[in-house]
Amino acid sequence: MHDPRPKSVLVVDDEPMVTTSLRSFLELETPYRVVTFSNPLEALAHDLDSDNVYVVISDFMMPQMDGISFLREVRVRRPQATRILLTGYADKENAIRAINEAGLYYYLEKPWDNEHLKLIIRNSVERSSLFLELDARLSALEGANEELLDLRRRLFQAFL
Amino acid sequence: MTPTALIVGLAGLLVGVVVGAALTRQAAGRRSPLAAAADRPLAAPERDAGDTTRRLDELVQALERAERDAKAARAELAGAQADAVNTAKMAALGQLVAGVAHEINTPMGALNSNHDTIRRALDKLQVILEDERVDPDELEDVRRIVKAIAGVQDTNAMAVERMGHIVKSLRTFGRPDRSEVGPLDLREAIESTFTILGHELRGRIRVEREYGDLPPVECYPNRLNQVFMNLLMNSCQAIREKGTIGVRTALSDDGGHAVIEMRDSGVGMTPDVLERIFEPGFTTKGSRVGMGMGLLITRQIVEQHSGSIAVESAPGQGTSFTIVLPLLLSVAEEHAKR
Repeated sequence: MHDPRPKSVLVVDDEPMVTTSLRSFLELETPYRVVTFSNPLEALAHDLDSDNVYVVISDFMMPQMDGISFLREVRVRRPQATRILLTGYADKENAIRAINEAGLYYYLEKPWDNEHLKLIIRNSVERSSLFLELDARLSALEGANEELLDLRRRLFQAFL
Repeated sequence: MTPTALIVGLAGLLVGVVVGAALTRQAAGRRSPLAAAADRPLAAPERDAGDTTRRLDELVQALERAERDAKAARAELAGAQADAVNTAKMAALGQLVAGVAHEINTPMGALNSNHDTIRRALDKLQVILEDERVDPDELEDVRRIVKAIAGVQDTNAMAVERMGHIVKSLRTFGRPDRSEVGPLDLREAIESTFTILGHELRGRIRVEREYGDLPPVECYPNRLNQVFMNLLMNSCQAIREKGTIGVRTALSDDGGHAVIEMRDSGVGMTPDVLERIFEPGFTTKGSRVGMGMGLLITRQIVEQHSGSIAVESAPGQGTSFTIVLPLLLSVAEEHAKR
């Protein structure tokens, strides 16, 4: 059941300053692999499952696509990954939209505090792990159920 | 930003009330004594000369009083208008400060995080170096830590450069030598305005630039910068979702003027709105956004420079402003005197 691949954190921000800062910090302080993009469309072209993405951190204002639309798309493609919005535009309306439309886990404002971010990412990874494990268990259960049904069918066939 | 907007709104309301009261008083003061004096018949043939002289004196006095009242009302009005212009300037400044704060936030965030990362990296290195022997697997850690520090340093350099750029733009924009005449490089001035408006543009508005080869314009740089800010801010607000702002500068055919064109792909204006845009207090933005002084001030500044401003707009077609300014202010002033 254990996935040997490293867990990934995906970071999307149109400011390279932000992505490189986050990458340096996370690589130093966490065991996770860090994947960064400056364009949300490029991030979506990426296969989130094969990259084993656990956490997605996105900026809000980006030229190609806003962060809420991006995270909404991430939710569809890999619902188990936990979504965080890291934004300099703190307004209530967008925060509400992000929570409702993108199923946001955390709304973080710039400038961020590294220690706080680390904690949020750790909790996010834990949350995603639980989702992924639940997924795995459910499909194992389904498989077992299938097997049982099959066994029952064969049992009936043998005796009737 | 909201409390500021509220204060500005209240101030605007107050100015309106003062102007209104002044106008009413002026009208009432001028009307009654004059009307009273004039209503009585002047110099009927059967009256004597002394009576006529007295009546004339009365009339002259009434006229003098009316003139004094009118003067006072005019002074009050001028004061109120100056207040309104100042309030509009403060509102623009508030907007500008909010924008700059936002622009500085990104490099600030990076520096803030990197500063912390470097401290953590150094702590880790210290722990490794404490036992004076570095194992091969620790060496791998050291490499990783040094790599993190190097990455962070590059980002810091970027952040500091960005902050320097913003500060330089602000300096170009808000020259303290307000009333001084000096040469202004149009390209530099307009680019500074774009830097300050960065948060309005990013992710939403594409800028098309076409800077002609022309000498610096002799002007009051501070005031012209305000013109560019007003027009470009209006364009940003006219573009509801995504759009384009185009800027073009060129030398006029006669070689003595700078031509500046600023256009946007925003919502545009209907003819009746277009007719009123230079009126004081006219706004389509609602009292929360502005108080309708921006374009009036813009036109006043352009006219102070003996320049001209023209506008073309239609609903759905965007808006385009064209400003023509003499390159030399002294020539412009000579021209204005004649």
